[in-house]
Amino acid sequence: MEKAVMEGPRSIGQSAGHVEGPAKVTGRARYSADITLPGMLWGRALRSSFPHARIVSIDLSAARRVPGVHAVISGADLPEVRIGRFLRDIPVLARDRVRFIGEKVVAVAAETPDAADEALSLVDVEYEELPAVFDPIEAMAPDAPLIHEHPERYEHPPIPPIGGESRYHPFANVCSQSIYRRGDLAQGMATAERIFEHTFVVPPVHQGYIEPHACAAAIGPDGKIDIWISNKTPFIARRQLAAAFGVPEERVRVNPTSIGGDFGGKGSLMDSALCYFLARASRRPVRMVMNYTEELTAGNPRHSGVISLRTGVTRDGTIIAHQAKLIFNCGAYGAFIPLHFLHGSVHSAAGPYRIPHIEIESLRVYTNTVPRGHFRSPGAPQTTFAVESHMDMIAGELGMDPLEFRLRNVLVEGDESAMGERFHHIRCGETLTAAADAAKWNSPKPPNVGRGIGIYERAPGAFGTSGATLSLDRDGKLILITGAADTGTGSFTVLAQVVAEELQAPLADVIVCQGDTDTAEWEEGAGGSRLTHMAGRATLIAASEMKRALIELAARHFNCTSEQVQMRARRFIASDGRELDWKSLVAWAAEHEALPLTRSGSYVAAGHPDVTCYVAQVAEVEVDRETGQVRVRRMVSAHDVGTVINPLTHQGQIEGGLVQGLGQAMSEHLLLRDGAVTTAHLGDYKLPTAMDIPELTTVLVESQTGPGPFAGKSIGELSNVPPPAAIANAVFDAVGVRLTDLPITAEKIYTALRAMEKRN
Amino acid sequence: MRVPIEVTVNGKAHRVEVDTRTVLADMIRDQLRLTGTHVGCGTGSCGACTVMLNGRTVKSCCILAPDVDGQEIMTIEGLADDPRHLHPIQEAFVVNHGLQCGYCTPGMVLSALQLLNENPHPAEAEIRRGIAGNLCRCTGYQFIVKSIEAAAAKMASKK
Repeated sequence: MEKAVMEGPRSIGQSAGHVEGPAKVTGRARYSADITLPGMLWGRALRSSFPHARIVSIDLSAARRVPGVHAVISGADLPEVRIGRFLRDIPVLARDRVRFIGEKVVAVAAETPDAADEALSLVDVEYEELPAVFDPIEAMAPDAPLIHEHPERYEHPPIPPIGGESRYHPFANVCSQSIYRRGDLAQGMATAERIFEHTFVVPPVHQGYIEPHACAAAIGPDGKIDIWISNKTPFIARRQLAAAFGVPEERVRVNPTSIGGDFGGKGSLMDSALCYFLARASRRPVRMVMNYTEELTAGNPRHSGVISLRTGVTRDGTIIAHQAKLIFNCGAYGAFIPLHFLHGSVHSAAGPYRIPHIEIESLRVYTNTVPRGHFRSPGAPQTTFAVESHMDMIAGELGMDPLEFRLRNVLVEGDESAMGERFHHIRCGETLTAAADAAKWNSPKPPNVGRGIGIYERAPGAFGTSGATLSLDRDGKLILITGAADTGTGSFTVLAQVVAEELQAPLADVIVCQGDTDTAEWEEGAGGSRLTHMAGRATLIAASEMKRALIELAARHFNCTSEQVQMRARRFIASDGRELDWKSLVAWAAEHEALPLTRSGSYVAAGHPDVTCYVAQVAEVEVDRETGQVRVRRMVSAHDVGTVINPLTHQGQIEGGLVQGLGQAMSEHLLLRDGAVTTAHLGDYKLPTAMDIPELTTVLVESQTGPGPFAGKSIGELSNVPPPAAIANAVFDAVGVRLTDLPITAEKIYTALRAMEKRN
Repeated sequence: MRVPIEVTVNGKAHRVEVDTRTVLADMIRDQLRLTGTHVGCGTGSCGACTVMLNGRTVKSCCILAPDVDGQEIMTIEGLADDPRHLHPIQEAFVVNHGLQCGYCTPGMVLSALQLLNENPHPAEAEIRRGIAGNLCRCTGYQFIVKSIEAAAAKMASKK
C-alpha cells in the first residue's frame, strides 16, 4: 500500500482503452484511402487474365484518348526494376510475361474511377498463352513449365544464418530451400521402435483485414516524394520504395495513416511503387485503392502447402527422431516475405518437443498462382496443424492419452530445444496442464463430443532497431513520437503506458504521435511480435532519460546536485525536504528556457531472447453424425505470459487471434481453379461472424520474465496457431474421423463417416 | 449520365450531382468527404460501409446514390463527431476495447445503434445476431459484444 502511495497510480497492468479509440469511433481516424490532395487522380490497374503468357503487344492508344485520363503506362514505360521485401523478383508492371491471373500489366491515372475503368477496358493486350503449373509438387517435376527463366539475376540482401542451410533457386521452379539438421537422423530412426509417417495439406487463406490495400503518392516541386500507404513498416517501405524509384532514401517520405488490419499482410509495397510512377507520368497526385476482389485474387495470402512428417519413437512414447518435409506453394513470385524462408515453418516443424535427432526441409515453390505472403506467425499455423495432428495420431497408435504423450515429450527447464535454443523459465508443461485443467480434460463427455489439444511456442521478436522521441511540452504533457504504425493491436496504448509508468504520469497526459519517416527515429516497425518488446524498450529508454533530465532541472531549481533529488508521485523532493510539483517544475523550466525538453531512445536487441512463450489450447467439439456438421462448443487458450502491460489489449490479441485460427480451421479456404481464385468476394471467402464464436476461456500462466519493458513478453502471434490442430484432434476424439487437410468441413466429415459405416 | 439529387446527411441538406452508377458509399466519401464510412468488401458482406437510411441501417456500398434522392442519411459523423462528447455506444466501444484497427468500427457502432433502438435490453445471442452482418477481423467479437452490453446498460440507466 505504501509503495502505491509513493509511486502514484500505476499504468502498467491498467486496462486502458485504445488511445486512438475516440478517433476511431467517430470516423475521424484517417486511413490511406481517405487521403485527398488537390488535383488528385484515381489510379487503377489492368490485370492479367492468364496464369502464364507471353505479352506479344500492348496498345494503349485508345485508352489514352479517354477524356479525363492523364496517364496510361505499361511495363515498357518503367525503369527495369523488380521489387520485394527480401527477394526482389516481382516487376512493378509485367514485362514480356505474366505469371499469374491478377498480375498487373497496365495502369492508368484518371480524374474519376469511371474514366480510369473505361480507359482500362480499351487497352488491347495480345497474349500468347504458355503452359502453366499450379501445384508445387508438379512444378518440381523435370518437365514442368519454367516460371522464371533467369531467377539467378534477382537481387536480395545476404541470407542471414537462420533456418539452417538456405539457398535461393537451388533448382528449377524452387524459390528457396532451407534445410535444418541436428543430431543424426538415420541413427535416431534406427534406434526408434516405432516410426510414424503422415502427410497433411493446408490450403491458402487470406489475412482478411477489412481494409483493402490503399496508397497515395505525390511528388513535390522540389522532387520530394510523399507516400501514404497501408503498411505496418514505414521505414522499411521507404527503403524499398527508394530502391524502386532509383532515388536516395531521404527523397521519399512515408506518412502516417491508420491501418485497417494487418495480420502480416500489410508489409509489402503492393500498389505504392506503381502509384508513384503514375504520379510521375501524370504530374498529379494519385491514389490507388484495391477492391476486395483484387485483394482476394491478387493480394498476398498465406502459403499453402503439403507437409510430410516422419517420427520415430520408443514403445513408451518418447520421441527419438523427427523428419519434416514442407513443400509450400509461394505462387508466381517470392517477393512478399521479408526473409528467404518461412521462419515459422522450420521453427514449428520441431514444435516444443525434446528431439535429439531432427531434419527439416522447407521449400517454397513457384507456381502460376497468386504470390503468397506472410500471415500472423508465418508458416506456423500450417506446420502446427500438421505437427500437432501427427502427435495425436502417434499417441493414438501407441494407445496413449494425447495429453500424457505430450507431457512426456515437451521441453522442461534445462532442455535445449530441437532448434538448439536454450531458454530459461520453460513452462510448456505447466501451460499444457493449465489448459487441460480448465477444459476438464478427463471429465466424461456426451456422445459425439470430443476434446483435442494443440500447442505452440514462439519467442518475443528481437530483431531490427527501434527508436522513440519523447518531448515535454509547456502544458506538462508528454509527447511520444514513434515511427511505428499501430495496426490495431494497441501498440500506441502500450507505449503510452510505458511512458506513464516511468514518469509517474496519468495516462491522459501522454500523447502518442506516429511521426513520418522524416521526423521519427528509425523504427523497424510492427511484425514478428517485436513491437511491445523493441519499441517498448526504446520508449522506456527515452522515458528514463526524460526522468533524469527532469531531476537535473529540479536540482538546478533547488540549487543542489541531482543525486540529492528524488521523483516520487510526480513530485520532485530535495534531500533537505524542499518539494516541487510537476506543474511548477514545468513552469520553472519554461521560464528558464529549458523547454521544449526532448529525449530519444534507441534499442537494438542483444540477440535471440532467452525466454519464450507457450500457448496450449483445448477444443471441445460436437459432431452431428447425420450431417457431418461440427460445432465448436468451447475453446480454452492457456498462455505462458510475462508482465501484462495492458490486460484489455492483451486479451484482445488472444481472442482476435483465436477466432482467426477458428476461421482457418472451419471455414476459410481461398479456392483456386486453374490458377484463378474462385472465392473472389467476402460472401464466398468465409470469415467468422459474431454468431460463429464458441465459449472462449483464457488462462494466463504469469511470471515476470519477459525481455520487454517491465518484463513483458509477446502475445500477438500465439493464439491463432493451434486451433486447427486442436479442433481436428477433437473431431477425431468425438467420432473417430481424422482429417489431414483444412478446412474441417461438414462435407469431408460426412463422407468419412459414411465410409466408416460401410467398412463396419 | 449525371443526375442531381437532394439528400439530408447528418441533418444537413445537400444538393449533389452524381453519376447514375455511383454507389451511396462513394458519394458519401468522395463528394461529401465523410470518410468515416469505410469501404471493405464492396459487395455487401462486411458491413464496414453501414449507414442509416431513414433511420435504418443499410450497406451503403450496395445502394445507388440516385435512389436516396429526397431521403435522410446518418453516417458515423452524425452520431457524434466530437471525440470529447461521445454517444454512449461510442464511449462503450472505447472503454471496453470494442475495436482494434477501427476499420469496421463505424459500421459496427451504427448496427449496435439500430439494435438498441429496437431492443434496448438485448440478450447476448441477440447482440450477436444484431451485428452478424458486420465483419471484424481483429477482435474475435467478444469485446464488441461486451461494449454493446455496456452501452445498453448505460442508455437504460439514462432513461
